[in-house]
Amino acid sequence: MTDDKDVLRDVWFGRIPTCFTLYQDEITEREAEPYYLLLPRISYLTLVTDKVKKHFQKVMRQEEVSEIWFEYEGTPLKWHYPIGLLFDLHASNTALPWSITVHFKNFPEKDLLHCHSKDVIEAHFMACIKEADALKHKSQVINEMQKKDHKQLWMGLQNDKFEQFWAINRKLMEYPPEDNGFRYIPFRIYQATTERPFIQKLFRPIASGGQLHTLGDLLKDVCPSAVAPEGDLRFFMHCTHVAMCSHRIYHLDKGQVKRDKKEGEIKSQRGVMWLVPGHTENIQPEVPTEGKDNSSCCSVLSYHLWLQRMPICKRDTFANTFFGFANTFFGWIKVVS
Amino acid sequence: MLEGTSGDHPVQPQPRQGHLEQMTQGRVQIPCSMAGEEDFVLEEKRFKQHCEEFVKHSQQIGDGWEWRTSKDLGDGYLSKTHFQVRNRHIAQDLREKTNDNIEETLLAHVEESLDDSQVAGVCTTEEVIRYEYHVLYSSSYQVPVLYFRACFLDGRPLTLEEIWGSVHACYQDRLQEGPWDTITQQEHPILGQPFFVLHPCRTNEFISTVLTGPWKHNRHKNYIILWLSTVGPVVGLSVPLSYAKVAPEQNSSTDSAESSSASSLPGLTFQYFAYLPYFAMRICAEREVLGHC
Repeated sequence: MTDDKDVLRDVWFGRIPTCFTLYQDEITEREAEPYYLLLPRISYLTLVTDKVKKHFQKVMRQEEVSEIWFEYEGTPLKWHYPIGLLFDLHASNTALPWSITVHFKNFPEKDLLHCHSKDVIEAHFMACIKEADALKHKSQVINEMQKKDHKQLWMGLQNDKFEQFWAINRKLMEYPPEDNGFRYIPFRIYQATTERPFIQKLFRPIASGGQLHTLGDLLKDVCPSAVAPEGDLRFFMHCTHVAMCSHRIYHLDKGQVKRDKKEGEIKSQRGVMWLVPGHTENIQPEVPTEGKDNSSCCSVLSYHLWLQRMPICKRDTFANTFFGFANTFFGWIKVVS
Repeated sequence: MLEGTSGDHPVQPQPRQGHLEQMTQGRVQIPCSMAGEEDFVLEEKRFKQHCEEFVKHSQQIGDGWEWRTSKDLGDGYLSKTHFQVRNRHIAQDLREKTNDNIEETLLAHVEESLDDSQVAGVCTTEEVIRYEYHVLYSSSYQVPVLYFRACFLDGRPLTLEEIWGSVHACYQDRLQEGPWDTITQQEHPILGQPFFVLHPCRTNEFISTVLTGPWKHNRHKNYIILWLSTVGPVVGLSVPLSYAKVAPEQNSSTDSAESSSASSLPGLTFQYFAYLPYFAMRICAEREVLGHC
């Protein structure tokens, strides 16, 4: 795991350029300018928007200000979802920067959890970690840690300190050599269109026969509607915890696979995965090359298919990265078609 | 005399968590020396079966529980709505207004033991609060989890602070030690709306002790009843004594089965929980049930 620190770092430092605009019906003493910010994918809205709040409160009267909340195109944004997830779920098809509207009144009680202090965020974050460890290690690893270790995880996230975070997190990502993986894989499949916020089920990394399960197995088992027997399926692998989303991003452009080479620019952190039926079983791990056309996308996109084919629990960059944050938050997948 | 409640065994609240932590050298885990070796695991199938049993009995006594199935994935949850009157004066004094005679009798006992000043009829503003309780299954912890929401009749929801304040006096100590580990606001996993949740992390610990080891014969008891009668009172939800008669593998209970079930249930848990931080909780729950609080 630590041999792929680059990938872990890329995932950690993923950012989304965002433009915050005050809701037009908020009462201000003078005009409110929009506020631009690079949001960390792995963090939470209410944890990283103190400056946004201060900026808008400057032009408002105290009595007009109560709990801040955020909305995108009419949908209240759930602060307790990681920022990257919110973007992928609601805005991944739109141009950057991501436009978020800021509210200080009429808190939507039926939609959003309250967030009156950083303690609330910490409690939520730690609850996610604990739940993931309940799945991975029957809570043994998290329970054996001292309170100060728990605090270090939180402080690492809060202060954007990669090393500090992973010093503790790596323990949550280990398993005894005699086991082939975690007890169960922590994951959640989010869908924007359903009342149910996500699908979460027990899923073992190893089948009863001893074979290692792949991501494809998981999807077929948990979300069969997404894996149609005929035709192509399109998945956005939006897990910030998947290396390919942050580091090597591919997309299909007129049947050609292109790699996002904009290393210096802000990337939209979008990963594209094509599942081609019939080709998913025999893919050998290989890095795809650019330029091949769509019809032979099994080889071209074997990179992605490899991810799908590859045992979930294998000690490897992508699997580990994918589920690397599974102890923190769950990896997420957005099903498109 | 029910076992475990005899006079020569004084009821003492368990030492605070801090003391326990000292004993366990700062580790978070609480050693349960009384626990059976095996971990009792409640699978989802058994959860559903026990819920079914629970609802059946609830229907018989008019306790208001029903089972709701989700349209998409076929999982489901128990649900109950009731109204409570809260005295503004004393936030912790919840007088339930239900049609359940058993509960009224019990509550009469509860009120008798209250401080004079509290009973002196100084209930200035009475507010009616609508409580909605849901019991869901957590596949991560493999235990049931209690979700609830509360609002005034005008629709205004209670805040987390108001919820914490309404937790019964018996449990306030435990709550104060770790409010964020106890009751927080979370997203309902099926409905996607904000609910309050009683944290499930410790459930398996105390349930295991009751259902394993020398108390293996308890395995035929209804898990939901056992669990809900323990955690429900923390958040104002009581489980009438008549549920103690329910035994999943019996179609009709004989007199002897009834009395042994009813008496062994609270008594057992008394003994077991002597070694758990939930001791104080359970004692209070018991006492409420027995009318001694």
